[in-house]
Amino acid sequence: MSAPTLSTVRRLLAVLFPQRRWMLGGAGLALLAALAATGLMAVSGWFIAAMALAGTAGLAINYYTPAAAIRLFAIVRSAGRYGERLITHEATLRGLSRLRVWVFRRLIPLAPARLGALRSAELFARLRADVDALEHFYLAVLVPGSVALLSTAAAALLCLALLPAAAGALLIGVLLAGVLAPLWLQRRAAPHAARAVLLGAALRGRLLDALRGQAELLVWGGVAAHSGRIRALAADLDARRTRVEFLEALGSALVGLCAQLTLLAVLLFALPAVHRGRLSPPLLVLLTLLVLSSFEIIAPLTEALARWSSTLTSAERVFALAETPPPMHEPSAAAPIPPRPAIVFEGVGLRYEEEGAWALENLDLTLAPGVRVAVVGPSGAGKSSLIAALLKFYPVQRGRVLFGDQPLEALDGDALRRRIAVIAQQTVLFNQSLLDNLLLAAPQASAEQIARAVSLAQLDSFIASLPEGYDTVLGEGGALVSGGEARRISIARALLQDAPVLVLDEPTEGLDAHTARGLYAALSSAARGRTVLLITHRVSGLAQLVDEVVILAAGRIRARVPVATYLASGRD
Amino acid sequence: MSSLGAADTPPTARRAAQWLRREARLIRGPLLRTALFTALLALSLVAQAWVLAAILTAGVLERAPFAQLWPLCAALLVLALLRVMLTIGARRSAVCGAQQLAGVLRARLLQEVQALGTLGLRASASGDLLTRLVDGIEAVLAYFARYLPQAGAAVLVPLLLAAFIFPADWLSGLVLVLTAPLIPLFMVLVGRAAARASEQRYAQLRRLGAAFIDALGGLVTLRQLGAAERFAARLERENEAYRVLSLQVLRVAFLSSLVLEFFAMVSIAIVAVLIGFRLLWGELALRDGLFVLLLAPEFYLQLRGLGTLRHTRMDAVAAAEQLAALEVDAAAVPAHSVGTAPVRCERAPEIRLEHLAYLYRGRGTGLHECSFTIRPAQLTALVGPSGSGKSTLLNLLLGFAAPDRGRILVDGVDLAGCDPRQWRDCIAWVPQSSHVFEGTVRENVLVANREADAAALNRALEASGLAPVLARLPHGAETVLGERGVGLSGGQLQRLALARALVRERTRVWLLDEPAAHLDRDGAGEFQALIRAAAASRTVLMAVHRLSAACAADWVVVLEGGRVVEQGPPQHLRGSAGAFSALLQAEHS
Repeated sequence: MSAPTLSTVRRLLAVLFPQRRWMLGGAGLALLAALAATGLMAVSGWFIAAMALAGTAGLAINYYTPAAAIRLFAIVRSAGRYGERLITHEATLRGLSRLRVWVFRRLIPLAPARLGALRSAELFARLRADVDALEHFYLAVLVPGSVALLSTAAAALLCLALLPAAAGALLIGVLLAGVLAPLWLQRRAAPHAARAVLLGAALRGRLLDALRGQAELLVWGGVAAHSGRIRALAADLDARRTRVEFLEALGSALVGLCAQLTLLAVLLFALPAVHRGRLSPPLLVLLTLLVLSSFEIIAPLTEALARWSSTLTSAERVFALAETPPPMHEPSAAAPIPPRPAIVFEGVGLRYEEEGAWALENLDLTLAPGVRVAVVGPSGAGKSSLIAALLKFYPVQRGRVLFGDQPLEALDGDALRRRIAVIAQQTVLFNQSLLDNLLLAAPQASAEQIARAVSLAQLDSFIASLPEGYDTVLGEGGALVSGGEARRISIARALLQDAPVLVLDEPTEGLDAHTARGLYAALSSAARGRTVLLITHRVSGLAQLVDEVVILAAGRIRARVPVATYLASGRD
Repeated sequence: MSSLGAADTPPTARRAAQWLRREARLIRGPLLRTALFTALLALSLVAQAWVLAAILTAGVLERAPFAQLWPLCAALLVLALLRVMLTIGARRSAVCGAQQLAGVLRARLLQEVQALGTLGLRASASGDLLTRLVDGIEAVLAYFARYLPQAGAAVLVPLLLAAFIFPADWLSGLVLVLTAPLIPLFMVLVGRAAARASEQRYAQLRRLGAAFIDALGGLVTLRQLGAAERFAARLERENEAYRVLSLQVLRVAFLSSLVLEFFAMVSIAIVAVLIGFRLLWGELALRDGLFVLLLAPEFYLQLRGLGTLRHTRMDAVAAAEQLAALEVDAAAVPAHSVGTAPVRCERAPEIRLEHLAYLYRGRGTGLHECSFTIRPAQLTALVGPSGSGKSTLLNLLLGFAAPDRGRILVDGVDLAGCDPRQWRDCIAWVPQSSHVFEGTVRENVLVANREADAAALNRALEASGLAPVLARLPHGAETVLGERGVGLSGGQLQRLALARALVRERTRVWLLDEPAAHLDRDGAGEFQALIRAAAASRTVLMAVHRLSAACAADWVVVLEGGRVVEQGPPQHLRGSAGAFSALLQAEHS
């Protein structure tokens, strides 16, 4: 086993560790059930042969004990198997359920800085399919593996006592059927299995594209081509899976073959032993059935090894995601957030990639508490980066950003963001009720507060028009409301947050003039007493909302002027 | 089995069963081949048991030496090799059949999803649909690859074995044959309860999937709002609900396997003990006794195998219900009467809208009696407050929906009688929010025109203003775009959308929905000039909010509440005291 494999296994075990009681219990019951099944067949065989011999010889025989043992084995076997399956599945479901949410929690601090390259379909695939695949690690690998190992050892010990050569044959046969053959097959199947995992994820992504980008594909006549690509991916996926299935079938066939070969080897030793009187005849039948039953126990090992590589691939993908270091570390002891903070950018330089271009360069900007400023500039001037730095989403490489008298590094990111309400360029709504969407930032808001925010955002008539009112579910990504309504919902959401700082990132983009004008009025009353940072392209309504205009260009501040001066300067 | 359940099966479950049966017919060949292999496997098993019983009997009763028994041992070896081939053959034909079906199914379901149309799609969560398309098909696939062959074996193998066991020892045969039917009986009883639980579990799985897609798509917003942790707690609850439901399903499923296991094991024990006593009393030959004992576990093995696959079937039925429902939904979409009348737009066409009416399915504004003309070589602006029907109008023009009344005439040809694909070939479109596909910037532009050469691509990138943006990226046009264009700003995304329109150089109809949204003033100005210039040789309809853009148009149509309230050249409308001048005043005040 290579070093990365070992470390993946170690991490898997660590993740599953909290479920160890369930897991050990499940494996124990599995072993008990396996031993009982072997015992049932072996003792039955011995019993029949002994009874036949006694019958032909007319001898008396104690048949109570073996007959009772046979019945006992039957009952232990069925009950043990039921308990085993219940407990092993309980264990995995518990483990996976925790793991999924754990991974999601690890993702939170990575957004947006570290997740840029990963699409949500890919993230979803890792959280769903890959995490699900990890159940095989315990159910299909750990349990059958340990049961096979221990029950083979028990069978081999019994053989050793009866006929040492048979023990040797059994061990060789099991090694061949349970370890060597599956290993060989696994090596053949591994590349296909690993590729199938990746293909599955790619297929999901393509399908999501087909669903979400359907309008584009329709208009551009790309439906057929895109479907073709999906078909090709699926065909490749199916071909890989067929290959894996074929190797699995070969594996289970080989186990059967090994069982028969071992049986022949045992007969080769046992028949002469009986002939020479070194082995009592009924024990010949016992040995035969013991061998056959032992191979039934190791049959699942082929599948276990086949699962092994795809499980590892899934595990690696999950861990790679969960162990991505967050872009910024939260302080261990966060400083308290000042109630009415000034915001100061001191010589800030920010870039998204090492050696990349500076998005913000040597930027100095002071926003006293309650000041209302618009930031204007061409796209790419650094307006969004300014906000990204302020929200502590991206680290600044030079200078520092102060919130109150504290540098951002000293503040807890979540606590900081609670004090900054944002109305962003792209409105994201969630597939929940309208009310839940409004309350995202302020779950404890009172009915009056909600009503106030809703009326400020001019949402009241819209909500009144909905048959289900506040309980209307907005659909995925808020798909069931129009762009303007979505924006108003996000404005109400930000108003409810009741933060001393209000960041408005193109708050009226996509709204018609009438609604926009109304919103400026609403926003200016909401902005009263707050520090306002407005990013906009529009000039109309600017004077209503801000006092000053900061002109940004190429990551630097070009000028900072009173709004009247800016408007008079004739820049439209 | 099915007649037992039919009385009170819910109609959806029956529909699912019908659906599965219908699909099975598509791969009848491979299924029959699998059954044949299974039967041969059972026969080889009988032969193996008979040979081994003969060897053991000789060994026990006569203490025969190996030399005397080697022909029988050789027969065992031959049988073992035969079984290897049969095992592989059986599995192979089953898997190939299922894969074959999966290909057909996937293509058909994708078609059905597409038939739902863009408007139908918005209403249902794509995470949900994705679950149906991927996991649903997987579940059905597992049913055909594993469950169905196993179900066949569970019937065939015991019957064949019984045929050989009875002549050897009728009493054991009776025990086996009497207990065997009890197993499916109990399984049906238990299975009915499990089916219901399985449905709930599948529904919860879809809820869970939708919740995760939702949370992952909006992770940044959640962080901004400080709601990420609360969302995680919600996911935890959904997850927990899924776990509990899964366990309910499994518990019932395992109960049925307990019944199986119990009957199987106890019957083997009874058979063994009965054989033992009759051997003692000399009523049975040892060889027959051993033969029966060796076959007894095999008698139940296939039934037991079926028990372990029980939830495969339940999952498949639940998934089939969803897939059948999708089929019904897709069939309910009024068939697009794909006409054959040619629409060719080598030159800019005149588009006339005559009394268009569209009742919005769901909420929002429809259209009522919309009539106006989009003239060639002109720039027509469509204005009106949000929700006035601008997007609906564009949807009709794009052929995403058919008008309930009225018609759209392109150079006098009714669109209803045309092939929408041919019509769309004439269109360049800038939607309000564009979908960013998995892939590079280059691929994302070229989705609009795969035939475009490098020069055309570069022209589109330059004209849309994307080129300087790309120049600053380390990988340029080969930069891979993330979900919803993370990595590109709103304005850059808009430029991407414009580049897509521009790369369709030969189109003569432009439909633009807020082309300058998210752009700064300079950028918007550039766009405006570009659109103006394009309009000289094209038919351009542009839905806008910014009235300054509308003022630069040749013709303005004002929509309100789904009706055309005013139209005319902007200079005229400005002067008159109509809706347009009212809107202008509102913007400037």
